[in-house]
Amino acid sequence: MAAALAPAVLVMGKGGVGKTTVAAGLAVLGAETLGKAAFVEFSDGEAGRRALAGSHKSIEHIVIRPAEALQRGATPLFGSSILAKLALGNFAMRPLLRAAPAIRELAMLESVRQLVAERPGTRVVVDMPATGHSVAWLRVPKQGRRLLGAGPLFDMCERVGRELMTPGKSSIVIVTLPERLVIAETVELCLAITGETGMPVDHIVVNRMQVALPEAALAEADSLSARRGPVGDAARALAQILTARRVARREGETALEALHLSNPAIWRIPLAPADPSAKAVASWLRAEGAL
Amino acid sequence: MTPRAGKSRSSASGPAKTPLVVVCAGGGGVGKTTTSAALALALARQGRTTLIVTIDPARRLAGAMGVPIGDVVTQVALPDTGGRLFALMPDPRTSMRTFVDELFVDQPAAKAHLLANRLFVELSDAAAGVHELVAMNLIAGAAAGGRFEVVVIDTAPSRHAIDFVTYPGRLAALLGGRTIAWLAGVAERATDRAPSTGALSWGVGRIESLLARVTGPHLLGDTASLFGDLARVRERFVALTQHAANLLLGDRTAYVLVVAPTAAARDDAVYLHDRLDKLGRKPHAIVMNRGDVAAASYVRILRETAGISPSLLDAIGILEQERATRGRAAAAFSAELEKALPKLPIVRLPFIEAVAPDDVMMALALELREHVETLLP
Repeated sequence: MAAALAPAVLVMGKGGVGKTTVAAGLAVLGAETLGKAAFVEFSDGEAGRRALAGSHKSIEHIVIRPAEALQRGATPLFGSSILAKLALGNFAMRPLLRAAPAIRELAMLESVRQLVAERPGTRVVVDMPATGHSVAWLRVPKQGRRLLGAGPLFDMCERVGRELMTPGKSSIVIVTLPERLVIAETVELCLAITGETGMPVDHIVVNRMQVALPEAALAEADSLSARRGPVGDAARALAQILTARRVARREGETALEALHLSNPAIWRIPLAPADPSAKAVASWLRAEGAL
Repeated sequence: MTPRAGKSRSSASGPAKTPLVVVCAGGGGVGKTTTSAALALALARQGRTTLIVTIDPARRLAGAMGVPIGDVVTQVALPDTGGRLFALMPDPRTSMRTFVDELFVDQPAAKAHLLANRLFVELSDAAAGVHELVAMNLIAGAAAGGRFEVVVIDTAPSRHAIDFVTYPGRLAALLGGRTIAWLAGVAERATDRAPSTGALSWGVGRIESLLARVTGPHLLGDTASLFGDLARVRERFVALTQHAANLLLGDRTAYVLVVAPTAAARDDAVYLHDRLDKLGRKPHAIVMNRGDVAAASYVRILRETAGISPSLLDAIGILEQERATRGRAAAAFSAELEKALPKLPIVRLPFIEAVAPDDVMMALALELREHVETLLP
């Protein structure tokens, strides 16, 4: 079984799986375990504010906008924030930075590295952008080293690789759902992450596990289905739903076996009637053995 | 049904034969792909020759529809479609290569040069918008024959799914602009010198020397060379992107926001609405999945049936409680949407209790039957 979480926790997953909610839960868990935690997001801060609402006071909510990340990442490169601002504001650089696919990602990872380094003893949970077909994000440091050959930017890629994208320095947590399509994509994502970054996927959170319905109910609905008239129709409708539920649960469990490839810890979170609080998520995660 | 919809439809059979386009946009996890496929199915069953295009195809859905992932339009053999449903599911992993082949069709040397560029090799699959552009050109090609009455486009599950409409324009401007001239100068100066003199000696201006020092020996040269290659095909680039823009920003195109009653989906919908607004477009309607309105009829009937066991009542109770919770979330969400985006019709679809993607699609297609006119431009 996987070890406890590293100081930096990178929470990934496709959109709509509850990534932000789980990340907020992990931040609460970190605050409870270590006393200090930070929640980092790369957007307008709205999602994090909502997810963290009413949770632990000792969680620092850090919002990094892309422009700030560039500035933050570039400052050590240029030796001063003024020179960095000058270079980034250069007439030719601005449109280039907007169009370049990897610069922002590198700047964001470097920002995370700095944030973690500045906060010893703190669990820093990063709500990573939703993954599509690629894990462009995590590949960036390795790519940068291949592309650059030498120089301060090369050194930055080295540093991000050494101090952040290394087992023990950060943990990758993937959030998924117990559904065919999502699990299939998650398996691809795990393989891509390990293949591209060399980082193991040690922790998978399966969100929205459906509650089991009474087993006897299906058999009874099936036998009622034989009746004529509205009761038979109603029983057939119910039997169909109960069957779908059972298949979904079994299939979810079977699909999850595909995730055991690298022997990750699998933490399950029940399907909540509405968006659950970070505190509730933290207690579910703790019950599943997360530390 | 609005008079507008009727008018548009009759002109679809006119000489222009530009199809109606429905673009489905929404955040991840709201059931956008399945809903788009269901809408196309419902349209085909009403007798309209329909093309469904999935920008970010899930293999299982492609499998369920019996459609290959690739650049070909394939007929979908689903019941009651009368051969009027077609699908196109371009593969994001091959689209950059397709794009380059199209751009450099008469410039093989420049193409070879580009394909060997370190930067291109490393980063081409991360370039935003290219896959959408390639898909749009495939759609434009398919639509040009006047074969389709309606094209349903399922965009990628992202807040930025429609940003690519502006991205090519920005890149085209970049290719013609001062940046390239400057970069080319940097690259020229870099290659004029012996490599041993190092990056420091590149500097003409202060910024240039700073950048060169920071980025190391290759990056600026590689970047300049990359854009230099692309600048050669600037006109073709602009022509290709124009196709996409015409298709997506024309007045026969309707944007449908697909949502689910979660806080994240609401944020995504509002964000997309604002993005569309910036492009001078308004969404046409909202489709809300998992937006159950009424209890299923089986609940009342079975509860009133004599001799039902506690475990069956228990199961019904759990299902009904879940449905009621979804219903409350959907009602609250609908009220918020009606306030934030008044006059925008909201189509609420129930949660489908099924496992296989094709079962869900079939069920949604039945639900969508009566809403088709609301969703068409």
